[in-house]
Amino acid sequence: MRSVVLTKGVPDFREGQVSFDEDGHLERGKTPTVMNPNDKYALRAALQTKVRNGGQVSLMSMGPPGYMEVLQEGMNDVYADDLYLLSDREMGAADTWATAMTAATGIHKLDEQPDLVFAGFKTADGETGHTGPQTGWCLDMPMITHVISLDVDEDEQVVRAKRLVAAEADEIETVEAPMPAFIVTDPEFEPTYHRASHRLKHKDLRDTTEDRADEFGEYIADGSDLDPTDWDRFTMWNHEDLNLDPDYIGLDGSPTIVSGVDPIPKAPSEREATAIDPDDDSDMEQVVEELTPYAAGD
Amino acid sequence: MVDIDPTELEIAELGPKIKDVDDADELREMLELEEGGEDRVPVKTLIEDRIEKLEAEDEEADASSADLDDMTVADIANLVRDVEDVSVLEDMLEREQAGQDRKTAKSQIEDRIQSIEGDDDGESADLEYVPPEEKHPDLDHPTADKQWVEGLEGGDYRDMWVYCETQHGELIDVSREMLGKARELVDQYNEDYDEAEKLVAVLIGDNVSDLTDEVAAYGADQILYHEDERLERFNHKSYTEVFVDMARAGGQMAPDGKEDVDWKAYDEPRYTVFPATNNGRDLSALVQGELDSGLASDCSGLYIENAMISNPAKTGVPGDSKEFERILHMKRPDFSGFEYSTILCIDKPFRDFHPQGASVIPGSFEIPEADEEREAEVVEHDMDLTDKWLEVEVTDYDVLDDGVDLTGHEVVVAMGRGIGRSPTEGIEIGLDLVEAFDDAAFGLSRGVITSSYSFEGHVEQYIGEDRQIGESGQVVEPDVYIAAGISGAIQHKVGMDESDTIIAINTDTDADIRDFSDYYIQGDLFEVLPKLTQAVEEGTLATAIAEASDD
Repeated sequence: MRSVVLTKGVPDFREGQVSFDEDGHLERGKTPTVMNPNDKYALRAALQTKVRNGGQVSLMSMGPPGYMEVLQEGMNDVYADDLYLLSDREMGAADTWATAMTAATGIHKLDEQPDLVFAGFKTADGETGHTGPQTGWCLDMPMITHVISLDVDEDEQVVRAKRLVAAEADEIETVEAPMPAFIVTDPEFEPTYHRASHRLKHKDLRDTTEDRADEFGEYIADGSDLDPTDWDRFTMWNHEDLNLDPDYIGLDGSPTIVSGVDPIPKAPSEREATAIDPDDDSDMEQVVEELTPYAAGD
Repeated sequence: MVDIDPTELEIAELGPKIKDVDDADELREMLELEEGGEDRVPVKTLIEDRIEKLEAEDEEADASSADLDDMTVADIANLVRDVEDVSVLEDMLEREQAGQDRKTAKSQIEDRIQSIEGDDDGESADLEYVPPEEKHPDLDHPTADKQWVEGLEGGDYRDMWVYCETQHGELIDVSREMLGKARELVDQYNEDYDEAEKLVAVLIGDNVSDLTDEVAAYGADQILYHEDERLERFNHKSYTEVFVDMARAGGQMAPDGKEDVDWKAYDEPRYTVFPATNNGRDLSALVQGELDSGLASDCSGLYIENAMISNPAKTGVPGDSKEFERILHMKRPDFSGFEYSTILCIDKPFRDFHPQGASVIPGSFEIPEADEEREAEVVEHDMDLTDKWLEVEVTDYDVLDDGVDLTGHEVVVAMGRGIGRSPTEGIEIGLDLVEAFDDAAFGLSRGVITSSYSFEGHVEQYIGEDRQIGESGQVVEPDVYIAAGISGAIQHKVGMDESDTIIAINTDTDADIRDFSDYYIQGDLFEVLPKLTQAVEEGTLATAIAEASDD
């Protein structure tokens, strides 16, 4: 069993982490990078597969060298065996199609082709939800998206999954696909570990992987003399390693461009708000008077 | 009297001779003669061009001899506007430097030089195509060879295609919304560009031909449908193959046997529009990828106009701007709702990025009024499905309950990012306040849903898109709306500003929501909400305070 998980670093959008400039534009440089929150579900799906079915899990990302920290974080989460970073100036500013072609090429270059590839749904920055399916398309793999639960049957070489179809009516489909397959997880994905042996394995893996991730940490620490690419579980590939024409990746290979970013316009003032000091009883009494008519009956 | 009478000459004879005439007045006389004679348009054009050229040379002569010291900056600006020769301009610049050396005058001349040189670059943007094998000899199998890059160059693109999604044999509302918006866009487009392009609706599934009348009533000019019982439920591979086969039919990339179809005579659609539902979004990504083009997802605004682009990846020449015509501008809330981005899908030299694709958020546009009388051309699409395309099989499905309905309640309590300090507790105290009312619902701002907060298990069920209030969520109009820790982005306002009374709680002294609140409690929701809950439960604030002080 070989799995590959795709992940991406994104600005940390949690309250207090985001910086805006004077014009109200997001300052990416000042906003810390974290693993895309939705990718955690792809990691959980891969981890569930590793615990239940064993095998090797590789974690792959495309981005600047700073993403090594994101990979280290992911290694801990998914108990990854090895890490891959596709990194090159030429790959910068790629849209989803250019990213998908690059990621698919990265997967093709692996010595052993994966039985399963996992990707998360939307990234917190681009929010397109396209990169996963488009990468699957490039790899020409059967695809199941919006997966909320997963069962891998190695004997029959099939994956059975439940997927969420959110449209006018929300539905849950039960879907079966032959392996190798491309899985895009939904944020509603829930791993299941039925057996005690699974939970035990989980614990074992956690211990070994924590040590492993710590070891990588020494390579990528600030001021470290070590070269991360010397670590035997980390591989970094540039466009030449991947035989990618620079015209087809990064900004040059991207069909779309962002032509403008506007701060969400401020809503025009329509009501005159009465200022209320929460510590002033007579102030607060005005609010309470508005609310009490709707209080629950006795 | 003129030396050459154009009426006596064929245009082929006149061409070489006219180059010897250096007098503009003489040329004007020739023009009059021709107008009085056969009045041949090409002959007149030839003469007019010669007049124009002579006059431009005169301007340059003026420019090269003019005494700049006697001229105002405005005169200089007028003079340089007609000069095409950079050496004349450079000479003027030197004379100005030697003379008055006015900064403004120099910048007028410099700007003109720059603009001419810029134009030259534009012309040399007859870039030469270099195959990747030559351009990158170090790469042994460049990307252009890979099976998934099969695009067009200089293709013929027309029409706006809308994918009409169905569920259980019915159109879903977003399909009607898209048809309405697309009708508007196509009509405007045809007017702006003097075209007669069509709105093409695409239906894929089982028994979808039942829906063609309805699709026509909502504005389609042409309806393409592919009907197959095996396509009753969405299937990534086959839906994509069917759509792409339709899109390529009758064009350069058409599969064998479909080079000529009687319903389409262009290479690929100019624009494609899909719903941003789970399946619609996937389909949009795969179709656009297969057609080697791009798209913007989850758009809430669309319009078509020309765009000036200076991005060298698109113009091919750094520092150059180029106008791209008929560009679909796709506006979408981005960065987790902090900003709107406008996305454009634009051709680059030697590689077209068409169709320009978009998926739209359900509810972004109005459902148009159906016109039952309206008719459309209906085309059944024929194609054999390969078994391998259907290898991902839906074995079962369940329809879920409608989810949470936040509308129709007396009170709505909504929580925003202000809960960030302690997200689980924030949800708990919000739910406590909901409990205190007779009929209240619990909602969330988009910020909470897209955040990476980790919630404890017992409140997780309250976190989800089905509780989102705002542009891409539900629109509520309760008697009382309580917004706790919500800063008040305009998308949120859309979802609640019809409420009778709006009470905002925020630590910020002047959050945007203040402008559309009736009461603005400047304080910490973690303190204010429990206080309000207690007051609602007890009936008055005074009691609450008295009890609190008893503790």
